[in-house]
Amino acid sequence: MLIKISDFYSFLDNISKGNNNIEVLIPVPVNGTERRFFFTRLNESNNYDLGFFRSVDPIKVLFYQPRESVLPISAKTVKRIIAGIKSCDMKAIQLLDKALVNNDFVDISYKNLRDSTYIITTDCTETHSSCHCTLLDGKPFTESGFDLNLSPVDDYYLITIGTDKGKELIELINQNYRLLDDNETVHMEISQLRNKIIEKLTNQNEKFLPRNHDDLREKDLAHWNEESKECIGCGACTNICPTCYCLILNDESTGKEFIKVRSYDSCQLHGYARVAGGASPRPKMYERFRNRYLCKFDYMKKNFGESGCVGCGRCTEACAAKIDFREVTQNISMITTTAKHSI
Amino acid sequence: MHNAYEVVPGTIYNIIQESPLIRTLQIRPERPIKFLTGQFVELSLPGIGEGPFTPSSSHYTSDVMDITIMKTGFVTEYIHKTSIGDTVGIRGPYGSRYPLEKFHNKDILILGGGCGLAPLRSLFLTLLHDIDQYNSITFLAGAKTPKDCIYKELFAEWKKYNKVKIYRSVDIVPEGDSWDEEVCLVTKLLQKIKIDPKDNPVIVCGPPVMMKFGTMDLLKYGYSENNIYLSMEKKMYCGFGQCRHCVIGGYYACKDGPVFTYAQIKNEEAIWE
Repeated sequence: MLIKISDFYSFLDNISKGNNNIEVLIPVPVNGTERRFFFTRLNESNNYDLGFFRSVDPIKVLFYQPRESVLPISAKTVKRIIAGIKSCDMKAIQLLDKALVNNDFVDISYKNLRDSTYIITTDCTETHSSCHCTLLDGKPFTESGFDLNLSPVDDYYLITIGTDKGKELIELINQNYRLLDDNETVHMEISQLRNKIIEKLTNQNEKFLPRNHDDLREKDLAHWNEESKECIGCGACTNICPTCYCLILNDESTGKEFIKVRSYDSCQLHGYARVAGGASPRPKMYERFRNRYLCKFDYMKKNFGESGCVGCGRCTEACAAKIDFREVTQNISMITTTAKHSI
Repeated sequence: MHNAYEVVPGTIYNIIQESPLIRTLQIRPERPIKFLTGQFVELSLPGIGEGPFTPSSSHYTSDVMDITIMKTGFVTEYIHKTSIGDTVGIRGPYGSRYPLEKFHNKDILILGGGCGLAPLRSLFLTLLHDIDQYNSITFLAGAKTPKDCIYKELFAEWKKYNKVKIYRSVDIVPEGDSWDEEVCLVTKLLQKIKIDPKDNPVIVCGPPVMMKFGTMDLLKYGYSENNIYLSMEKKMYCGFGQCRHCVIGGYYACKDGPVFTYAQIKNEEAIWE
């Protein structure tokens, strides 16, 4: 079905102003040398666009907060709509779902925020220079996981319903706005628009080859040393990564009660895996640098059946040393000598 | 919904100072904590932090729990300052256990050093409970010096069992200390015993360097990679595979371990660090 874009924006505005206690979050642009988007609570002064490309911060910060009390569980959650999530972030949420809500463990804060949120994804209509989802089997539009997906076509959005929660939203929209039937032409047009973005992504990544990186672990360690030379080990790449969820627990009790707070941790930091007594499995920078790549392409595949890199390019954008994730994986992939590990 | 971070408060009802650096806390939790030998718990002190420790008591006991702890870092330093009557928190148990059913009718070898004897004490006590199920138990226990030896009275007690053989060694005997058992690295005790590696299990726990060279020796003696059980200690923060600090390749030490066979992890990196 179709809805006029202006109607949809008006629907979001009304929801955010309404008395049904639903919060609306949308990506708001901040103009600079390159357009940057930050998810912000919708208010009257916002000038926003649900298209474009991914936000600066990964969407995980809205579900898996950088610092949160896990014992006791922090404040109750409100219902909210997050509109304008891109396909890379949707994939990342699907991976976090596997990591944080499973048979062995449920992160209650994460689950509460997941359950209370309506996810509206939108097709990318532009690309950021670091975007490279297509190198990793990804697409600049979402195919699963969303409650609703919006694909812009002229002045309209084509709405795809993904879940029952999506149907609830449609009912809300239906109360005040007109939904139109779509047709074959609309789908063809959308397919053309999508292909244009894929083509743009292909062009901007033309010097990189799509790979699955299954053999990354076997590559000679000396080359990792070379690739990591500029790395200062700050951990920006892991904090900004939409699928990194490593945490550190602190006990913040002042009395006899037990209070536990979790915060993001980073495998790039020297103390990350160090144990009492001083032993560390990865004392050298290049070992920690390599660990991030192996975690994404090897360990996460083993743990969750899929690669941990969604190709959003945020780590490249955030890197103080201007290390490009694509270049590193490309360079390492080209190496033919294998690693020698001794026990 | 169950909060995985929830702790069971417990009271320290006794403390055994095993050696200058190692003490055993005897804890009575508010409600019984059932575990299987080899699994670990997270022990926390309010306002200080928590750490992973494998209980050293038998898994047939759940109303009280013994935990043997060496003073090595921030949290353990505070643990060594606790007194009888203090409150601690316990969550767990987590991880894999020793597969006792695979040890039935076998000649079991246990190789441990230093504070690595802690989980082995739990295993040993659990084995003793059903001693008829097992052929024999040979326990090789090492320490740096006689003063560092832990479970002193217990070993004397355990030697009385028919099916049990115990050999102890210290690396060195400083002047003034007395010691009437072996003086060598614990792994060298392997040369002094009759070994039948065929289809028999060996369980190893100790400092990383001991585990490494112990495993190499056991392979040389003919133990199968599948029969060498290692208790791997990594930085197990959360205990349920979420924080990822303890990842050994595609494995979590906390979830897939801490008990691994050597065959499982031999191709992973930095397993001994």
